[in-house]
Amino acid sequence: MKMKLVIFALIGIFVGLVISLITYEGIHRTAGEDFCVSCHEMRPMVSAYHNDVHGGVGKTGIKVSCVSCHLPQDNILNYIFTKAKNGVAEVGIHFLGNPDDIDWYEMRTHRKDFVYDQGCINCHTNFQSNANISKKGIKMHEHYMSLIDTDKRVGCASCHVEVGHKGLRSSLNYYKPEYEYYEGKLDEYKETAEKKLNEKDIGWFQ
Amino acid sequence: MTNLKTLFILGFFFIFSVTFLVGGADDVPSKEIKITPELKKEFPIKHHHTKVALSCVLCHENQGDNPKEFTTPGDEGCLSCHKTKQYLADRLKFMNPLHVNPHNSIHDGPNLFCDECHNEHKPSINMCSDCHEHDVKIWMKETP
Repeated sequence: MKMKLVIFALIGIFVGLVISLITYEGIHRTAGEDFCVSCHEMRPMVSAYHNDVHGGVGKTGIKVSCVSCHLPQDNILNYIFTKAKNGVAEVGIHFLGNPDDIDWYEMRTHRKDFVYDQGCINCHTNFQSNANISKKGIKMHEHYMSLIDTDKRVGCASCHVEVGHKGLRSSLNYYKPEYEYYEGKLDEYKETAEKKLNEKDIGWFQ
Repeated sequence: MTNLKTLFILGFFFIFSVTFLVGGADDVPSKEIKITPELKKEFPIKHHHTKVALSCVLCHENQGDNPKEFTTPGDEGCLSCHKTKQYLADRLKFMNPLHVNPHNSIHDGPNLFCDECHNEHKPSINMCSDCHEHDVKIWMKETP
């Protein structure tokens, strides 16, 4: 009887570990632009990200994955839940909806809601005291802190408008101009961007 | 005896605080300015600045606490947050191929003063439209 219990417990532990491993691998393998761009309508954003220090062009080559900034980092359940929720929504839009209807410029005005400050702060730990930040920068970060628990709360991306995606507005305009006058006149820039993306072979289901 | 000790400690802190206050006089934060509806009406600020809850003294640094006596912080003030004119021009680089980038025009490059177009407490203007009155409307939206 006792033996049975031990075997039962061991099997339980083994199954638990396997599930943990699968979850861990699953979360990590689906964290980068390769996976996200498969369904998420975000080629111009990835293109701009590749030009940014967060996208690996810095001299150290460090790269920040999509989810580090765009998913909540405060607790793992919230992380998984938001990831699953966004995933379902994006697959829906990609296969059933009309991606051309998305107004990226309007979406960007809500950027503080989909760039999670904790993601920034996880790396930029000393944003309130870093000696490389200008005096005004430190002052504005104090301003940020003073608003945190108020209804006027701002996000990192409220001020750092193209953070993580250098030249984002231009990149978006190459794909879908915000003014009619530009329609068809910037196609060669889009082609260049697309060529670069294809060279990197991003996307899981190409 | 205890009273004397307390007095001594209090005195020390008093002198210390005064020294600190005077020593740091450059950076003494201006007295908080209460933003009344009248003040808001007289000096309205732009939507993008309201959104990040800017207060008067974040732009009008070391200018006291009377809004009526504030002066423009100039390009230097704007660029203390908005980085450089080249940075601003680069952010609109998609306009370059059509030669309509207002921050990098073929006439002036990235060298204009901010307030030639942008105003904070009154509507901005678009200097391009002085000559390109009809075209500007299709080139870009209203000057923020």
